[in-house]
Amino acid sequence: MNLAQILFYIMAFVTLGSALVVAISKNLVRSIFMFFVTLFGLAGLYVLAVADFVAVTQIVIYVGGILVLILFAFMLSGKQTLDAVAQQQNKFISLGNLYAFILAALFLVVMVNVVFKADVNALPWVKTAKETGNVIPVNQSGINNIGINLMTRYLLPFEAISILLMIALVGAAHLSRKEGNA
Amino acid sequence: MNFYLTYFLVAFGLFAFVGLFTMLGVYAERKVSAFIQNRLGPTETGKFGWLQVPADMLKMVQKEFIIPAAADKILFLLAPVIIFIGVYLGFAALPWSAGVIPADINIGLYYIFAIISIETLGILMAGWGSNNKYSILGAMRSAAQIISYEIPAGFALIAVVMIAQTLSLQEIAMQQGVLAAEKVKFLGIWDVSHVGGILSWNVFRAPHLLVAFVIYFIASLAESNRAPFDIPEAESELVAGFHTEFTGLQFALVFLAEYSMMYLVSMVGVILFLGAWNTPLPNIGPVALADWTTGTAWGIIWILLKALALVGVQIWIRWTLPRVRVDQLMNLCWKILTPLAFACMLISGVWRLWVM
Repeated sequence: MNLAQILFYIMAFVTLGSALVVAISKNLVRSIFMFFVTLFGLAGLYVLAVADFVAVTQIVIYVGGILVLILFAFMLSGKQTLDAVAQQQNKFISLGNLYAFILAALFLVVMVNVVFKADVNALPWVKTAKETGNVIPVNQSGINNIGINLMTRYLLPFEAISILLMIALVGAAHLSRKEGNA
Repeated sequence: MNFYLTYFLVAFGLFAFVGLFTMLGVYAERKVSAFIQNRLGPTETGKFGWLQVPADMLKMVQKEFIIPAAADKILFLLAPVIIFIGVYLGFAALPWSAGVIPADINIGLYYIFAIISIETLGILMAGWGSNNKYSILGAMRSAAQIISYEIPAGFALIAVVMIAQTLSLQEIAMQQGVLAAEKVKFLGIWDVSHVGGILSWNVFRAPHLLVAFVIYFIASLAESNRAPFDIPEAESELVAGFHTEFTGLQFALVFLAEYSMMYLVSMVGVILFLGAWNTPLPNIGPVALADWTTGTAWGIIWILLKALALVGVQIWIRWTLPRVRVDQLMNLCWKILTPLAFACMLISGVWRLWVM
């Protein structure tokens, strides 16, 4: 086993373990902070997959933005709401969670199926890309390519996402407005 | 194996530097504040009070380690560590001189921008973990402030990146002096590729970057929770904000993080706008000052001097300007800095297309 493999297993263990704690923990705040560890483990996995740009983006967006906002929402909500959440019968394995378990199990089946059927070592599109020389070496800066592709080939999805974000922004502004004045 | 040993040595060296800088920073802060307020500052401990900082450190180490009874112990203990590590990790990607950089990654700037945001999380952790209303108020203020000011800072950085066309800090540094591979034009008209010096710094390559630099500098003050944006630890209202409950070594760690952050943001400002490790002296005809003062050792000296000068300005501002109110803070960020930063970004695009 070489170093990259050892690192991969460490990262995978950190990611999965912390995700499990996020799901099981009764303390909501600790769950949120544990989620931070999960996201970091995921970023580490991206780095191991030589996708450093994705890894850093993951940290900027999830850790710097979304996680802090979740914490914000958490700390701004009243104590009674939080107590109600903490009080509820929160056994991890119980009959009430049956549907969730079935759903999760089905997802697992689908994912395992995908992993085994896909034959990741011999994907056709990877093969053709290798044959036609349509690859970017690891040591070169991939961001220029990402930028060009976003602005040419994937312009429509890119713009669609920006419109979606815009709608969310307008919606948030509308929700936070005081009633009665309008 | 030696390969990995170097990594540890570099990391340790950076940590030692951060510690030394913090000691110097604390001493400078005391002396400068004393000068500005027409006092003497520390005088008793050692000549000119230079032993004051070691004495403070000794005091901190001796202090009792107190964990509040109602605190969330894990979060409380981890918070200062995370705050410090968030800042310390940023140092990995900073270039010190031509070829002297701990980790030359091609998305260095983006990496620093990302890793700094961990500090916010640490601050929120400290605020919640302390289980103290002042702490949590301070933490909330800090997070709101840092998130808001990341936007103008980010756009000011994008303005530079559009001019430089790279995210690698070493390449951005290389472009601003006599070592540049491409043509460098002063204000877009005068070719100064072989003149170098102050004329080829980014702020003079494209004059609107001067505005971007000021925006970045103001935003960086807010991101490192320095006065006039220190409402997260406003001592007149919140005792000491998010670090109210910390004692001894934990407090020292928070302190270390604050000073490292000051240095980090100054370094990033210097690298992006003020010529990084390039000399400020230009070549004047046969007097090739720029060529003479360019080299590995010179680079380290220049970047240190420039970054320390910026830290000096930060200290000066802290003891000159009063603290802003929350609404003033947000007005400044959203109504002045953000539109200006957008304008800078727009001008950068036009400049790159038609002038450079």
